[in-house]
Amino acid sequence: MHPADFETAGTGGGDANSSFGHAMRNKHFFFAPSYRPLNHGSFGVFPRMVQEYQQRLQLESEARPDTFIRYTYPALLKEARASIAPLLGASTDEVVFVQNATSGVNTVLGNLIFKPGDVILHFSTIYGACLKTIQYLGSNNPVESYQIDIEYPMEDEEIVQVFLDSAQRVRSQGKTPVVAMFDSVLTFPGARFPWEKLVDICRKLGVMSLVDGAHGIGHIDLTHLGRVGPDFFISNCYKWLMVPRGCAVIYVPFRNQHLIQTTCPTSWGFQTTIDRAKLNKSEYFVKLFEKISTTDNTPYLCVPIALQFRKSHCGGESTVMSYCTKIAKDGGRKMAEIMGTETLTNVTGSLQQCCFVNVRLPVTLADLDAPDSKGLHIAKWMQEKTPAEYETYIPIKFYKGGFWCRISGQIYLTIDDFEWAAETLMDLCKRVKGGEWKTVSNMG
Amino acid sequence: MASSHDGAGHNSLPEFGSEVLKHFLFDSDYRNLNHGSFGTIPRHIQNRLRHYQELYEARPDQFIRYDLPKLLDKSREAVAKLLNAPTETVVFVPNATIGINTVLRNLVWNDDGRDEILYFNTVYGSCGKTIDYIVDSNSGLVSAKEITIAYPFEDDEVVAKFRHAVDSSRSVGKRPRVCLYDTISSLPGVVFPFENITRECRKYGVLSLVDGAQGIGQIKLDLTTLDADFFTTNCHKWLHTPRGCAILYVPLRNQALVPSTLPTSHGYVAKTGARFNPLPPTTKSPFVSNFEFVGTVDASPFLCAKDAVKWREEVLGGEDRIMAYTEWLAREGGKKAAQIVGTKIMDNKTRTLTKCALVNIAMPIHVSSSNRSSSATTTSTGYSSSVSMPTGEASVVCQWMSEVLVKDYKTFIPFFISAGQVWARLSAQVYLDMRDFEWAGKVLLDLAQRVGKREYKIKERL
Repeated sequence: MHPADFETAGTGGGDANSSFGHAMRNKHFFFAPSYRPLNHGSFGVFPRMVQEYQQRLQLESEARPDTFIRYTYPALLKEARASIAPLLGASTDEVVFVQNATSGVNTVLGNLIFKPGDVILHFSTIYGACLKTIQYLGSNNPVESYQIDIEYPMEDEEIVQVFLDSAQRVRSQGKTPVVAMFDSVLTFPGARFPWEKLVDICRKLGVMSLVDGAHGIGHIDLTHLGRVGPDFFISNCYKWLMVPRGCAVIYVPFRNQHLIQTTCPTSWGFQTTIDRAKLNKSEYFVKLFEKISTTDNTPYLCVPIALQFRKSHCGGESTVMSYCTKIAKDGGRKMAEIMGTETLTNVTGSLQQCCFVNVRLPVTLADLDAPDSKGLHIAKWMQEKTPAEYETYIPIKFYKGGFWCRISGQIYLTIDDFEWAAETLMDLCKRVKGGEWKTVSNMG
Repeated sequence: MASSHDGAGHNSLPEFGSEVLKHFLFDSDYRNLNHGSFGTIPRHIQNRLRHYQELYEARPDQFIRYDLPKLLDKSREAVAKLLNAPTETVVFVPNATIGINTVLRNLVWNDDGRDEILYFNTVYGSCGKTIDYIVDSNSGLVSAKEITIAYPFEDDEVVAKFRHAVDSSRSVGKRPRVCLYDTISSLPGVVFPFENITRECRKYGVLSLVDGAQGIGQIKLDLTTLDADFFTTNCHKWLHTPRGCAILYVPLRNQALVPSTLPTSHGYVAKTGARFNPLPPTTKSPFVSNFEFVGTVDASPFLCAKDAVKWREEVLGGEDRIMAYTEWLAREGGKKAAQIVGTKIMDNKTRTLTKCALVNIAMPIHVSSSNRSSSATTTSTGYSSSVSMPTGEASVVCQWMSEVLVKDYKTFIPFFISAGQVWARLSAQVYLDMRDFEWAGKVLLDLAQRVGKREYKIKERL
């Protein structure tokens, strides 16, 4: 199927629906007309149908504040949990909502009890805030971290092997790898990670697996998650599920719920160890997250409507994810063609089974007569120019000696958006080659 | 005759009460008597909220990475000014619970296991749980000591109890490290002598952690004069700001004690040195830039704080005018309601408890500690007509009453049990006047009579 087919083929099923691409964008989304949204992965967006529903809920919360917050909200929250659980192949009472994946990671890691010699394994591709979380944890708790360095492109087998070797090495030092944290889809480069294989390895090694699926729900199929059986899984709903910002899900299988004593922050639901022992474990887990502290939690309640939108207007989860994956792949290929470079790929193509594409820019350090140490600065200079002067945002990083960009595929994009991206990046490269990056010190 | 206290309009300022109601978004048949729990926003602020949300969707990266921090700073400045605090000591957090958790979780306890957290039995539930968790999760490294005070307390009683607690803690070899206390307690809603206790903390070398959840917009706060070690207050309660907006105040001298946000995010600086931060570079202090981005949330409520301050100034006549009215209405309206119910409001001899916008009205429902079954007398009003029941039943009754209020009376009033009696808490606001409190009195009386008839036993739960 060619992406253009999606323009006319429509998406089948449900009410009158928009075809993907610009028609979808204009009808359902709120972007400024001159803006090219190529970075869905950072902050997500949500469609009109979801916004209208959220605003209705927000109005209700002002029309009768206590009624909504104390009585309406808990019932809708349960419905929302029930609607998202199947996407993870999980039971309703195995999923709870928090504001975002960072909060989710902090919640899980903050609950684990460490003893001297314990080690948290993670890859060098770990999301920045998660690394900070581990560092902070290590400053007050008897736990160290061990970083497994990887550099793309890599085959899944290589990743698995280096993980095994690292766990072995930690053990040989007389330490205990207690939990391993890794992504479902990496942030940069935007690449699908062999998380299923790693969960399996972790189980065999007796190491707990904490999957940071920040890019997860709505991005890759996760209906097999329950079967794969990670110990903890966290995913943002506001990124790829078109739910308003401030919504993520924590999956904790029943067998591990006793490990979660507190929310982050601690609140009403917390019971001391002694009191907890008297309770039904799974009852405690769900109740713990039901009322944490006062925030606008209407995003949580928007999960059902977001799923409904994706079903009735976009043909359902599989259709959406297929389109996003394909447009990213095809678009990236087109960009590489225009720029005379290449997309990031591995032999099996496994890393590209997601909605991101990473394309190399047609400029090298050699072209610029610049040392390695300037790579970060040059990349940042280019990146910051994209919102400042080009009405878009394209993440550009200095990676493995080259300059790479990450583009997010989405249902409101077509090939010409990727062509435009390539032209824009070529213009940027021309400016960089002209030495413009040397004059500016830092961006505000 | 309208006195200067009842919010009578002069110039173009509105008279408080029903004239101001039109600015708000309530259902026409709903009476909001519980502003103190979740606050509410006027239409103008809702428009501002939506305006920021639109900016988010038009160009997400542009807005979040570049525009948002600047707007955030302006909003911080506006709120800091209201609190008479330097802007660099004030950051936004979603709510006071997070503010309290942020401080308590960051504190590093001494190795010798002598550290102690002091708090009062009047502590807000989730804060009490937070202390429980801190104690539970630190393997004996830190203990907690509860200071018991009874309502209605006199301010000097509280001070005496605090001093005694510090002495007694030290006498057994403990080190009282930090004391958590309210500006205004939740249930009952009464003013706590926080200025006095802050002074005492300073005198005794104990860190003062003030839970001002009920604070800004309700009572006058001068954080520079107060000079607490840590202070948090919700803007979404009394400052007409959307939910999910509070501030955490940490004076410069203590900012190093709070290295991490909750959750930890990009701004954290590891002890081993600075690491890559994807957000644009900044010249702000580590403390301020740390709290600028704490995981992706809708930060629009934070931005609305500045708009709310402005709206209250321009449309309602400013903080002093608002707070004078709400304090007056709470006390006088509360007394009126209590008169109708045939009971009294909660106050102390010096009347410091009621220097706020909350008021607590006794219900003619007594709670016995023995297991005597309830007796019912409903035929007359006044002190003689009261119902008596055991504690367990009283909790059920309170729950039932709140549900009936929602269903039958289109309002909500929280109840609590104190000193063997059930009480109701009312919140005064600019959109309420004396008639609303009279109405409340009649409703509470009605409810009490229905309880007397044991209606809660036969009615199904909502």
